[in-house]
Amino acid sequence: MVCPELRGGRAFSRPCPSSVRHRLRLRHSTVALLLPVVVCCVLAPSAGQARDTDTAIDTAPRTLRFVTWKADRPGVWDDAIRQFERAYPHLRVQRDLAPHSSTAYHDLLTQKLKNRDASVDLFLMDVIWPAEFASAGWALPLDEYFLPREREKFLPATMAAGRYRRRMYGVPSRIDGGMLYYRKDLLDKYGFAPPDTWDELARQARTILTGERAAHPLLRGYSGQFKQYEGLVCDMLEFVGSHNGSLLTADGARSNLAAPASTRAVRFVREQIIRELATPSALTYQEPESLAVFAQGHAVFHRNWPYAWGVANNPRHSRIAGAVGVAPLPHGARGKSVSALGGWLYGISAYSRRPDDAWTFIAFMTGPEMQKHFAIHASLAPSRIALYADPEVLRANPQYTDWLPVFRTARARPRTPVYPIVSHILQRYFSRVLAFPGTDIVEEAREADRRINKVLALAPDANF
Amino acid sequence: MTAHPADRATARIMVCPALLFVAVFALYPAMDSLVLSLHRLYVSLPGLESSFIGFDNYAELFRDPAARQTFIVTLGFVVLSTALELLLGTGIALVIHERFTGRGGVRAAVLIPWAIPAVVASQMWRFLANDQYGALNLMFFGDRTDAYVPWLADPWTAFGVLVAADVWKTSSFAGLLILAGLQSIPEETCDAARIDGAGAWQRFRHITLPLLKPALLAALLFRTIDAFRMFDLVFVMTQGGPGDATQVIQFYGYKTLFVEGRVGYGTAVSVTVFAATLLLSLAYLRAVGSTLLSRAST
Repeated sequence: MVCPELRGGRAFSRPCPSSVRHRLRLRHSTVALLLPVVVCCVLAPSAGQARDTDTAIDTAPRTLRFVTWKADRPGVWDDAIRQFERAYPHLRVQRDLAPHSSTAYHDLLTQKLKNRDASVDLFLMDVIWPAEFASAGWALPLDEYFLPREREKFLPATMAAGRYRRRMYGVPSRIDGGMLYYRKDLLDKYGFAPPDTWDELARQARTILTGERAAHPLLRGYSGQFKQYEGLVCDMLEFVGSHNGSLLTADGARSNLAAPASTRAVRFVREQIIRELATPSALTYQEPESLAVFAQGHAVFHRNWPYAWGVANNPRHSRIAGAVGVAPLPHGARGKSVSALGGWLYGISAYSRRPDDAWTFIAFMTGPEMQKHFAIHASLAPSRIALYADPEVLRANPQYTDWLPVFRTARARPRTPVYPIVSHILQRYFSRVLAFPGTDIVEEAREADRRINKVLALAPDANF
Repeated sequence: MTAHPADRATARIMVCPALLFVAVFALYPAMDSLVLSLHRLYVSLPGLESSFIGFDNYAELFRDPAARQTFIVTLGFVVLSTALELLLGTGIALVIHERFTGRGGVRAAVLIPWAIPAVVASQMWRFLANDQYGALNLMFFGDRTDAYVPWLADPWTAFGVLVAADVWKTSSFAGLLILAGLQSIPEETCDAARIDGAGAWQRFRHITLPLLKPALLAALLFRTIDAFRMFDLVFVMTQGGPGDATQVIQFYGYKTLFVEGRVGYGTAVSVTVFAATLLLSLAYLRAVGSTLLSRAST
C-alpha cells in the first residue's frame, strides 16, 4: 500500500512560522478532517492481515471463512455447522452471509474474489458459475480431493455442472430442478389427471377457471417466474426445451433461438401463459411472489423448485396445505419434459490459505449424513443417488421417488465462462417479447442469436 | 490583495496534501477508467489478450440497440422527472415560504421523503405498486380486487411508477433550493409591485419568477445530474425490466461491469455517464454564471 497522503500529512503538521500558522488555521482544520480518513484507508488492510496471522497459530482452533447466502431455514444450517465443529474441534466455521438472491450473492462473492481476498476460504456456487470461476482462476481445481470413485455416487447432471475443461471445481450440495405443482383438489373435482402436454395444461386450466370463476374470481391458471432476471431464463428454457427446441445447436457452438421449435414455445408462453393463464402480473414475479400466489390458493398450476413442496404443504405458510400435487413439467406436442438444472456447489477459493481444511468441511457437508439432514429438515433434494432409496429420507419426502427421473434428465444451462453475458442477452430477449406483445418474436430471436454467437466466439472451446 | 512570495511558496506546500488526496482518490481512478475503457477486457477470460482497441467500446455503445434503448429511457426519465420535480418544488417552496402557524412542522414534514434512504424508499414503492397488496391499487380500486393492476408488469406503467417514486422522493430537495432563492428576494420589491396594483399572479410572474431564476437553475442542475445517475430505484424495483423498459444507463453500466464482468465495455459506459454529467454541469454553470453576471451588471 502506498501512503504518500500520509507522508504529506505529516510534513504538513510540522511547526511553521506563527504568522502563516495563524492565517492558515482554517485549512489546517480541513486537513485534520481528512487525516483520519487517510489513516483509515492506509491502515485497514494491514489490520485484516494481522487478524489472519493470529488465527494461524497451530494450537488455537483454525477458522474457516465460508461465504454463503441467507438460508431459507437458517436453523438447519446452524445445526449442521455445529455438528461439523463437534466432529472437528480444531476447526471453526465463520459464515459471511450474503443476500439470498443469486445475482446479489454473485456480485458480493466475485467482488471479494476479484480482490484476491484471502479471508475467503470456501463458498457456494450456483450451477451456472463454475465455468466462470474456473476460467477467472477464482476456484481451486478439486481433482486431487474429489476422487472419481466418490464422484460416481453423485447425480451425473450435478457432476457435469461442477466440471470445466475436464477438471472438477465444485461439489454439489444438493440438486434442484423445475417441477409442476398443481391443485390436487381442483384437478380431482374436474376429473383431470396431471397434464402431460402444455396444451393439455392450458385446456384444464381454462375449464377450471370457467367453473370456479363465480366462487373464486382471483383464481389464475398458472403462476411462474417471468421477471427480467435469471429465473426467467430457467423457466423459458424449460418451455423451449420441452417444445423440442434448444438454446444452443447440438454441437454447442451457436445460438439456436430463431429455430421454429424455439419461437413456437416463446409464442405459446406469450399468448397463452402471460396474456391469459398467468396474467401479466407474472412479469414481476420471482420465486417467492409466484409461490405466494399459489400458496394463497390463487393459482391452479405453479412452476417452482423442490423447496416449494415444503412451503406449499406447510399450514403456517399455505392455505392449500395437503391439496398440493407435484409432477414433471409438461411438454409440447413434439418433445419431452425438460427441467432446468439448478442447485449449489461448494467450491474452494484459489486464494485460500487452508484448502485442506476447507475440503474437510466440504466432504463433511456433502457426505450422506449431512445431505440426509438437509433433505429431512429443509427438504433440499440430495445430490447423492443412494439417498433416493434411503427409508428415512423417503419417509420425510415420499415425492423423491417420482423426482429422481426428473433430476436425472435435468438440463444444464450453457457451461461457459461468459454465461453472465449470455444470460443478460436471454433475459432481455425473453422479457421483451413477453412484455411487448407487438414485437416480432422471430426478429428478436435472430437478434439474440447474433449477440450470443458473438459472445460465445470469445471462449470458443469452453463448452465441454 | 498581493501575497508575499514566501507566503505564496508556503501556500503551495500547504495545498499539496489536498491535491495529492484528490489526485490519488479522484483523478487517478478517473484516468485509469479512461484507459480501461479503451481495452478489450473480460474478468472471466484472463487468457484473452487484453488488447488495446481504441474507441471500439464506445462505437459499440452507440451502435448496440440495447445500449441505445438505455439512452432513450434515461433521457425520458431525466426530462420527465426533473420537470415535474421543479414544478412541484416551486409549489412546495412557495407554500413553506408563507408565514402561517405550524410552518415549522410543515417544513420538516416536506423533507421526510428526501431524508428516507433511497433503498428503503425504493422498496416501499415496490410494495406500493404490488399487484396484490399494493396501496396504489387500494387507492385506485378499493375493494374491486379483480381490477387490480400489476403496475410494474407493463413497460409504460413501470416507467411511470419509477418517475413517480423519484418525484415523490426528491421534489422537496428541489423545493429547499428554491426556498433559499425565494428568501433572497427582497420583500420591498414585492411590496412596491403591490402598491403599483399588481395582482398575486402578476407579482409571481414578473417579480418572483425572474428573480428566482438562479435558484431554479441550481435546482435544475442538481436534479438533472442526479436523475441522470439514478440507480437505486431500478435496482430495487424492476432490475431494468420488463423488457428493458426501465433500463437506465447507470444500471446498464453496473450490469455490464459487475454482473457480466465486461470491464472494458462497462467502463466505457461509466465514462460516458461521467462525460455527460460533466458536460451538463458545465452548460448549466455557464447559464447560471451568465444570469448572475447580468444581474450584477444591471
